[in-house]
Amino acid sequence: MKKTPPITSNSMNENYFLKKKIQMAVLYAVLSGIAIYTLAPLWLLLVNSFKSQSEIISSPLGLPSEITFSYLSNAMKEINFFRALFITTAITSTSVLLIVIVSSMAAWIMVRNKSKASTIVFMCFVAAMLIPFQAVMYPLIQFFDDIRLKSATGLVLMYGGFGLSMSVFLYHGFVKSVPRGVEEAATIDGCNIFQMYIHVVMPLLKSITVTVIVLNSMWIWNDYLLPFLVIGNSPTKTLVLELYFARITAGQFGNPWQLIFPSVMVSIIPIIIVYLFLQKYIVKGISDGAIKS
Amino acid sequence: MNFYKKWFWPLVIPSLLLFTMVILYPFIMGVVNSFLAWRGTYYFDPDTGTRATSMFKSFVGFANYKEAFQDTRFISALVYTVKYTFIAVIFVNVAALALALMVTKITKSSGIYRTIFFLPNMLGGLALGFIWQFIFQIIFTDILFSPEALYLPFLRYMTQDSTKALFALAMLNTWQYAGYMMIIYVAGLNNISADYYEAASIDGASYWYSFRKITIPMLMPSFTIVFFMTLANSFKLLDQNVALTDGEFGTRLLAMQILRTVKDTAPPNYGKAQAQAVIFFILVAGITLTQVAITKRKEVEM
Repeated sequence: MKKTPPITSNSMNENYFLKKKIQMAVLYAVLSGIAIYTLAPLWLLLVNSFKSQSEIISSPLGLPSEITFSYLSNAMKEINFFRALFITTAITSTSVLLIVIVSSMAAWIMVRNKSKASTIVFMCFVAAMLIPFQAVMYPLIQFFDDIRLKSATGLVLMYGGFGLSMSVFLYHGFVKSVPRGVEEAATIDGCNIFQMYIHVVMPLLKSITVTVIVLNSMWIWNDYLLPFLVIGNSPTKTLVLELYFARITAGQFGNPWQLIFPSVMVSIIPIIIVYLFLQKYIVKGISDGAIKS
Repeated sequence: MNFYKKWFWPLVIPSLLLFTMVILYPFIMGVVNSFLAWRGTYYFDPDTGTRATSMFKSFVGFANYKEAFQDTRFISALVYTVKYTFIAVIFVNVAALALALMVTKITKSSGIYRTIFFLPNMLGGLALGFIWQFIFQIIFTDILFSPEALYLPFLRYMTQDSTKALFALAMLNTWQYAGYMMIIYVAGLNNISADYYEAASIDGASYWYSFRKITIPMLMPSFTIVFFMTLANSFKLLDQNVALTDGEFGTRLLAMQILRTVKDTAPPNYGKAQAQAVIFFILVAGITLTQVAITKRKEVEM
């Protein structure tokens, strides 16, 4: 907000601008301080990914004495980086795709066909947002084990179910603001429901779809508990699980920082890269999501 | 329109199917199992002392709940979670609001600051927990706050004491979530028309006065969302708890207590774990509903 300075004598005017300038300088200094504080842990992560255990302990803050990639490559082997990256990417993207398709279809038709049934179904989805994961996890795992889906496929279905409520809620709120005129025109032109959904409805829902993708990918990619319960210590571990088990197995005798730092480092590099490229959409997605709900 | 009506069920059923499989059925089974001597893979019959032939023979009434409330670990996890939530909600909200006020005030490079502050949210709680464990154990203890440097005993060995760990966990989560909540507050602040502030400044209102009389009331919808999210997140926190202290030194939060109950007991007492989970659900639902009701009432329509 720009405030117009009060119209007074010249010297007061100068005083006013000087005061504003100092205020701004202080503001920037404080913000920069906080930015350094925010980045400091990541700096630690970076420099200590190139050091031996003894060097990490003796000089944790400084640059490494020599640049060696042996710790990073060792960590990549330890956490089966490429395999885990592939599994995590596959699970996250199929889950998010499932969530987007199922929840957008349901929310759209629920808004367009107002009936008692549609209100009840919607209320169920909203109420389910209050159920914490812990309340359902044991029976869920047992049930999926019984139907032989305690696997990566089952994991995708579970994410589909857990991501559904919030996504239906977001789509539902958004579809309400989309006029149905275009859709009516499309039916007159002889569009069937699937053509309409793909060519008419989905393009109109693009911005909320970004929000749904961002919010769901963020938690699914980083989720620890569900893969831990479903996959556990089997070969098809996700990145987070690999990290967890590497820490557990190596950490029985103190903390093996020379393994933990580079492992954490390689496991977060993919996200950092995605963030740097897509941060505009991510931040917009989050803030749109907050306003809509 | 008839067209939509015809397609209602075909398009809703996939979501209902997923919902039933993943949430509704397990939730109902969860409540049922909390009244049974459930051992995970089988039901135990308390009368014969063997496997029950049917689910109903394994009914134990409120015994699992009674056992849960008599378990000191459960009670201490409950108290610890309430304490933690209280501290974390204050920390995160104050930090997020302060950041939002600052980044909306500056004219240049506000985007860079937002990008940096939001960055920690992209990373998983487990990975961040490991890095912060190092910070608390090595950087804080041996370097920054050691007797040779800025000696602050409270900030040393923070992961090895139940009270200190509470603050360590709150610091970690403030560092991680403040940027997220800041984005929501920024969206709220941008919705407030500059006219209000102009009118107030013409009337000679000070910054604090217009902050109290304009910003706070107009920001109520954002408070509702941020409080809801921070309350729920803190109450359900798990990953950071696992990574930072793994529940040692009496630092177990409820989510971890439910997860570890089946490891604490032999044979694994899933019935008791499930009773704790139902109590957990009632608490989470109760707290968040109350909070939304209270803040909604304070929201002003302008």
